[in-house]
Amino acid sequence: MTGPADAGLPVPAPGGAPARRVPLTTRQHLRGHYAGFASRFISFVFDCAISIGAFELALVAASFAASVLAGTSIHWSRGNIWVIVGFFAWEFFYYAYFWTASGKTPGMVLLGVQVVGEEGGHAGTRRGLIRTLAFPLSFILAGFGFLGILLGRDRRALHDVIAGTAVVYCWDAREARLRSLARRSAARRS
Amino acid sequence: MNALIDRINLNAVLARVELNDLLRRVDLNEVLDQVDLNRVIDRVDVNQVLDRVDLDRLVARLDVNALVDRVDVNEIAGRLDIETLVKNTDLGALMVSSSTSLLTEAVDLGRSHAVSMDDTLARWVGRLWRNHATRPGPPGLVNPEEES
Repeated sequence: MTGPADAGLPVPAPGGAPARRVPLTTRQHLRGHYAGFASRFISFVFDCAISIGAFELALVAASFAASVLAGTSIHWSRGNIWVIVGFFAWEFFYYAYFWTASGKTPGMVLLGVQVVGEEGGHAGTRRGLIRTLAFPLSFILAGFGFLGILLGRDRRALHDVIAGTAVVYCWDAREARLRSLARRSAARRS
Repeated sequence: MNALIDRINLNAVLARVELNDLLRRVDLNEVLDQVDLNRVIDRVDVNQVLDRVDLDRLVARLDVNALVDRVDVNEIAGRLDIETLVKNTDLGALMVSSSTSLLTEAVDLGRSHAVSMDDTLARWVGRLWRNHATRPGPPGLVNPEEES
């Protein structure tokens, strides 16, 4: 692990020795801390890629099934109202299912972030559904709904505030840092 | 003189001496100051003393649990430089062989870069908005006293 996180902060060493720089990810395990904008945005990009990819794949599969079973090929127009309705229904299902079930979409699993209740417990079905419904609001308001992640005290977007949820890191950065050190050490020894 | 001394009953004399009064008049500190303890210790055969000590009995009388209770294990653990331990011992290799894969490595790397970006963005916001305060996490997950 390299990069700005490894710059860390000076931590006084015991016995009055000179302070040493300890990487941010070593200072704290991060688990349970509010997730930042970049982690959330990247996880959203992954989710878009996964959900849109899955939807496209479903359209292709439906075309293929129709051509095999009925002998007629279907061309899905992106402007078709049914395709648009189907797309939004699928997106709703995708986010609602993952947020209510585990609080983690596949993109969030990759980035190690999770939706939780504002007090830190499981988000639950009601809050998961409200969050999914309120999610588009943050876009509709010219993206201002996401400003809370950068400027808010609890790093919560508008849809988080409406649903009573928050997004936290759910991976152990300290454990990952030790794994990284172990890999370097093993590479040096081999 | 010897004949005179022979005729004195020393026991009777000693019986009439008030030893406690005598000892009260002795300044023991002054006596001890004159004793060369180093020389005394030099003359003691420590090995012989230790040979006569029944260590098993001594250890059996120790309340090890009470002893361990007085040790702050967390403080000891806090003093350990785990990073150096992992870097310089076979513990690292063991951890790698047991818990890591190429995918784990890539995920760890990606996550830590994302956290770095989060941190950078938070610092920028902190510079632009000096009074900007954040909480570390939800009260049920993170101690509010923790640094943000």
